[in-house]
Amino acid sequence: MTRIVFALLALALAGSVQARGNAANGKELAKAEGKASKGCAACHGEQGTKPSLPDQPVLAGQHYDYLVRALTDYKNGRRNNAIMKGMSAALSKQDIEDLAAWFASQKSNLHDQR
Amino acid sequence: MARFLFSVVLGVMLASGAFAQEKKARKKAAAKQEQVAAAPQAQEIVGDAKAAHDRKIAMCIGCHGIPGYKTAFPDVYHVPKIAGQQPVYIINALKAYKSGERSHPSMRGIAASLTDQDMADLAAYYGTPVK
Repeated sequence: MTRIVFALLALALAGSVQARGNAANGKELAKAEGKASKGCAACHGEQGTKPSLPDQPVLAGQHYDYLVRALTDYKNGRRNNAIMKGMSAALSKQDIEDLAAWFASQKSNLHDQR
Repeated sequence: MARFLFSVVLGVMLASGAFAQEKKARKKAAAKQEQVAAAPQAQEIVGDAKAAHDRKIAMCIGCHGIPGYKTAFPDVYHVPKIAGQQPVYIINALKAYKSGERSHPSMRGIAASLTDQDMADLAAYYGTPVK
């Protein structure tokens, strides 16, 4: 019995880890002109590796759930940035997860460091 | 008497004008010298990565130095990777936490204790400007 419970728990955990957005959709979305006027690529670079200005963050390789969190916070006004507010307004929850999956899966110099 | 007063006032005005101009020139020279971090928001402050490493990162590494570390409150998600991020973005984030514009209880508390120099130092230590 305990073994079954453990197996179920493990499955649930695995499921929750894999419940991520679709990176392929996110890639298209990041370039899309229609969704949020110019898309993410205009400022962050298509892979999220090349911010066009020093105050824009690198997105590539950032944690998936942090990116979801940031976009969601911009969308609901918890985080304030005039540009990001406009960009995130048109995004659905699924869009946000897809974009986060795309940028999180890209390589960059972002890393953990003591 | 009136003429004397007038000349005193005129003298003070001229002197302060000259002083302001000298100040401006000095600022310009300082701005030219400063190329580290290239932070438009913090032009007089040069970040010192070594100072950050020796004295200031202790409060960061407990969360940002542990691979896969997650926030505990109020919501659970991975703390962002900050090493390799753009220095100016790091400074702006810390300032926004300090002012309360960006809200995360732990980061608000940490950022509140940081001076502009601390922030520049940490940005110089963790950040890498993207060319």
